[in-house]
Amino acid sequence: MGNAAMQIDLAGKTALIAGAANPVSAALQDRLEEDNARILPKGVPDLLILSAPLLEGPDFDWDGLADLARATGAAMQARGAGRIVFLLPACAALPVRRQPNLSMRTAGLLALMRNLAMSFAPQVAVNALGLGAITAEDLVSGDAAMIGHAPVGRAGTLDEACAVALFLCDPANTYLTGQLLTADGGWSAGYGRNF
Amino acid sequence: MKVELGGRVAIVTGGAGAIGTAICRMLAENGARVVVADINITGAQALAAELPGAMACAIDISSETSTAEGVAAVMAKYGRIDILVNNAGVNTQSHRVTIEGFPKAEWDRIVRIDLDGTYLMSRAALAPILAGGAGGRVVNIASVVGLAAMRLQSPFNAAKAGIVHLTRAMAIELGHRGILTNAVAPGSILSDGTRALFYGKGGSFGSRTEEFMRHIPMGRPGEAEDIARAVLFLVSPAASYVNGQCLAVDGGWTAGYTI
Repeated sequence: MGNAAMQIDLAGKTALIAGAANPVSAALQDRLEEDNARILPKGVPDLLILSAPLLEGPDFDWDGLADLARATGAAMQARGAGRIVFLLPACAALPVRRQPNLSMRTAGLLALMRNLAMSFAPQVAVNALGLGAITAEDLVSGDAAMIGHAPVGRAGTLDEACAVALFLCDPANTYLTGQLLTADGGWSAGYGRNF
Repeated sequence: MKVELGGRVAIVTGGAGAIGTAICRMLAENGARVVVADINITGAQALAAELPGAMACAIDISSETSTAEGVAAVMAKYGRIDILVNNAGVNTQSHRVTIEGFPKAEWDRIVRIDLDGTYLMSRAALAPILAGGAGGRVVNIASVVGLAAMRLQSPFNAAKAGIVHLTRAMAIELGHRGILTNAVAPGSILSDGTRALFYGKGGSFGSRTEEFMRHIPMGRPGEAEDIARAVLFLVSPAASYVNGQCLAVDGGWTAGYTI
């Protein structure tokens, strides 16, 4: 629990994690529970986490995730409050050659995120976490080649991924919406080489 | 959000201003020893007196001498620097004109403070941060006008866009040496300056405020604490894999075309 020093207050809040199950979404669920959120199996929570696949892979119900985002956001707006956080790979904003389908699909989700932020404001805040190379036992996000191009020179951890997600989940952030905040060690900032 | 900054020494330039004050308070509340750096030394001293372990420091970021002397004073008191928040900046209040008529002296003043000052202050503070060997954090306060241009303030647009890209350049040069650099781009934030233009009684652009707010999904200006909270996260130990990012805290203004 490397980020135990960072705490947000989710007491009395409900959360629902939908979409792809992966080590990041699992770790985030643990962290949300530690911060006193109650996890719902379905319904309209206070906090909706929409987890996209983080690696190029087999079929995923992309439209289903988008439909859930629209429907839940509309219900949150009608209720008067809510928060949505997308978990995306960094290739949503900077396409990766070896992840063509993942780049295309998650770029679509990034555009959806921004559109929902405009559509459901001011009641609902909608943001996204972008993940570069993240390792647990194996690479869970990104591409191994990205590690050497990240200015910090290493992959990130699940704790580091969750920290950014938790910041975006913090109910205190009432003026933050429509944003992608990426945890990639600086990979997408430019060229980490002495050219 | 609550984090533990464990006595880290944080310099906040423009620390006596509206956003700077909120940043200083939030960093201090989370355990930092704050250097309230400002050309307004009276204001800096008043704020520093309220914050445990804080000091005030007169720094003019547009002066190489002043930034060097300020950093020396901080090192003399604390012996270390861990965090730099490049918050000081100016925009034009009186010269709201298009570029063909924009006064050269006002252009120079804005770019010299906002862009050159961010470089000068960073250069002065980075030497002891690097020498300390314990890593560090830099947060540059940019602006949404560095992401989406606005009329009648061409040097501010250019300087703030410069800060956004300077942030990336710093991130890739410093990341492998343990220093993470990010930017926060505030949208329209309540302050004396924006009250005079938009939000106060008799604001000079007050008749346009309602139309302006239609472009912001949240439909209102933000508060200084919204910016401070983003800065707090980015300087916290938890944000240890965030580098080279520019986070707009703008009520969704730059998310897309809202109209």
